[in-house]
Amino acid sequence: MYDAPNLAESQVTQDNIKISARNVQVFYADTHAIKDVDVDILDKTVTAFIGPSGCGKSTFLRCINRMNDTIDICKVQGDIMLDGQDIYDKRVDPVQLRAKVGMVFQKPNPFPKSIYDNVAYGPRIHGLARTKADLDEIVEKSLRRAALWNEAKDRLDQPGTGLSGGQQQRLCIARAVATAPEVLLMDEPCSALDPIATAQVEELIDELRQEFSVVIVTHSMQQAARVSQKTAFFHLGHLVEYGETGQIFTNPEDERTESYITGRIG
Amino acid sequence: MPLIWLIVIVLAIAVAGYVLGRSRVMAATGGDSRKLHSLPSYYGYNVALKVVLPSFFLLLVWLLVQPVIVNGTVAADIPQSAIPEGSSRDLIMSEVRRTAEGLDNAVAQGIMTEDFATNARSDLNDVTQRLKDAGQIVTAQVTQPILQAAQRYRIMNDTGNLILSLLVILVAAAGAAWSLREMRPEFRARNVVERVVKGVLVAAASVAILTTLGIVLSLVFNTIEFFRLYPAGDFFFGTAWSPSFTGRGGSSELGVLPLLWGTFYISIVALLVAVPVGLFAAIYLSEYASPRVRSFAKPMLEVLAGIPTIVYGLFALLTVGPLLVAVFGKDGLGWMQAGTAVMTAGLVMGVMLIPFVSSLSDDIINAVPQAMRDGSYGLGATKSETIRQVVLPAALPGIVGAILLAASRAIGETMIVVLGAGAAARLSLNPFEAMTTVTAKIVSQLTGDADFASPEALVAFALGMTLFVITLGLNIFALYIVRKYREQYE
Ligand SMILES: Nc1ncnc2c1ncn2[C@@H]1O[C@H](COP(=O)(O)OP(=O)(O)O)[C@@H](O)[C@H]1O
Ligand SMILES: [Mg+2]
Repeated sequence: MYDAPNLAESQVTQDNIKISARNVQVFYADTHAIKDVDVDILDKTVTAFIGPSGCGKSTFLRCINRMNDTIDICKVQGDIMLDGQDIYDKRVDPVQLRAKVGMVFQKPNPFPKSIYDNVAYGPRIHGLARTKADLDEIVEKSLRRAALWNEAKDRLDQPGTGLSGGQQQRLCIARAVATAPEVLLMDEPCSALDPIATAQVEELIDELRQEFSVVIVTHSMQQAARVSQKTAFFHLGHLVEYGETGQIFTNPEDERTESYITGRIG
Repeated sequence: MPLIWLIVIVLAIAVAGYVLGRSRVMAATGGDSRKLHSLPSYYGYNVALKVVLPSFFLLLVWLLVQPVIVNGTVAADIPQSAIPEGSSRDLIMSEVRRTAEGLDNAVAQGIMTEDFATNARSDLNDVTQRLKDAGQIVTAQVTQPILQAAQRYRIMNDTGNLILSLLVILVAAAGAAWSLREMRPEFRARNVVERVVKGVLVAAASVAILTTLGIVLSLVFNTIEFFRLYPAGDFFFGTAWSPSFTGRGGSSELGVLPLLWGTFYISIVALLVAVPVGLFAAIYLSEYASPRVRSFAKPMLEVLAGIPTIVYGLFALLTVGPLLVAVFGKDGLGWMQAGTAVMTAGLVMGVMLIPFVSSLSDDIINAVPQAMRDGSYGLGATKSETIRQVVLPAALPGIVGAILLAASRAIGETMIVVLGAGAAARLSLNPFEAMTTVTAKIVSQLTGDADFASPEALVAFALGMTLFVITLGLNIFALYIVRKYREQYE
């Protein structure tokens, strides 16, 4: 029915858990958006979150780097551990956490700055480069990883907003990568892109897996099948099923999962 | 017939036309509005508009033209002998108008009959006495030529008004009849109404533009007149401002430089106060304040913008000036002679400008998309890093625009300067000395018994023109900046 995961290799070591969530509840004022979610996200793995619109995928994703803190009415309960450390602990600075857990958004949102300054933004803030040469190197490396170097190397001083949609999204990925995060969260990163740009970003995600743990929210089940090793299916705020991507797509345990991937709900 | 009645009648015809026009097309289709080209109400509006627009246009033009014609005719008929020594035709005419008005009121009060008022052979003493009895202001004995002219004036106006009423009602009725004949189902009533709406909007826009044009033209002519009497070089490059008050002689020095310097010095002090405070207030309000704080702090700040500048002037004169003297004056640092100084006016003007800067900047900062902030937070930036490096650069063109707008206000401000900075035109660097600005001098040159043909009075127009050109330049510059940055950021 779906292509077997071709880019993704399915052998992952089970014992390197990067993020572990237990009993997570999220409320927007009175709306209970996430209910009792338990999940273990592995290091150096691409994990896909799938599910119908409004089921809470983005909300849960934003819990992992505490982006929900910027929404006044949002309340998060439960435990989310990053490398065994509770990220909602009072001693954890969300700003530092976000440097470790990068995020790429649904709509490309380059800053109104030059391409170079967009990529250099994170390294400058976190003092990752000691000299200008260091910074140049980080920028080049990040742009190369985002497969944007060849297109952008001659126009580094031009505004990032002048790029095409697909290029902008790759710029945002380069920007996130430049901060040297350990986890990369991507909320429907391809939904505003054309098929060619999508293919480039998917290839990129597979490469990023060498170093990071990647969590990607996607509406496209083909995309989930192509890029991820693990898949989590959300429905109405519940985590219905979580397992090997191949398993979920070929042999789902829950009938809601089956209905969704065969197109009956969603 | 009073004007209000005329207007009411025309409106009544319009309403009747609306109802008739609507029902007429409905009847033509047997009550099925789907067979009409437009919605039924458009047919009604169509009739009403064709009643109202031409008749009100006629009314407006007539009301503007009639007084000119009547005045002219009556004035021309006053014999030269009736104008006393040292008086003029204009003065006699105002006497005539006063008398005519007095007669009107006296008739209205029943002190004299209409016949008596119009009788050319009435006894002058009697008329004067009766007018006085009626409580009308009559400067002196009403003379025969004045009484005659006044009577003529009344008759012409009455006839004019009567013809006007008849014509307006006729035009309204004709409009109704003509447009009702057009009301067939296939008539494109909606398109006509659309065109009329557009026309009305265009007319409104033209009023604004034409007024500006009129202002500029009046300035230009008087400025040219001034430069005929006073050399332009001395005006633009003269470093002294000392108009002579008594003589109409050529002893005045009218150099604009001290005034421009005062204007810029005070404006710069004002902007140094208003820009940082206003901008920081805007950043606090839009980025840090909780909705509750924001909901009362923002209106509070905007109240500042509603305070009349004369009140700020009083504040400068009574509070800020003495306060500064206490610190920097003889008893303090000894830099300041009196309360009126560049510093006093500049500080108070700065306070006045805070809400302009903050309110505009707040709107602009709020318009920066949340996605920008999210992007920055997502990379581990703190709030102030995000504001400094992402939000403010994105909002910069708008903020620059807000600052230049505030600068325009500062340059044009008068009352605070008059009360806070003094009246001495001076080229000095000391901010604790009294100085004055272009606007304050425009006022002082035109108030009092100014002779409008002297360079001392006409210089006000040259000053106004200079100011106009400067603020225009500033605004064009602001637009240019905003455009340039917008291209870069969008
Ligand atoms: N900022 C917010 N304020 C209030 N409710 C929200 C907000 N964001 C999301 N929600 C609600 O939370 C639920 C989950 O939304 P979301 O996580 O965006 O779903 P998904 O990303 O799976 O489409 C929805 O019911 C949505 O209405
Ligand atoms: Mg979403």
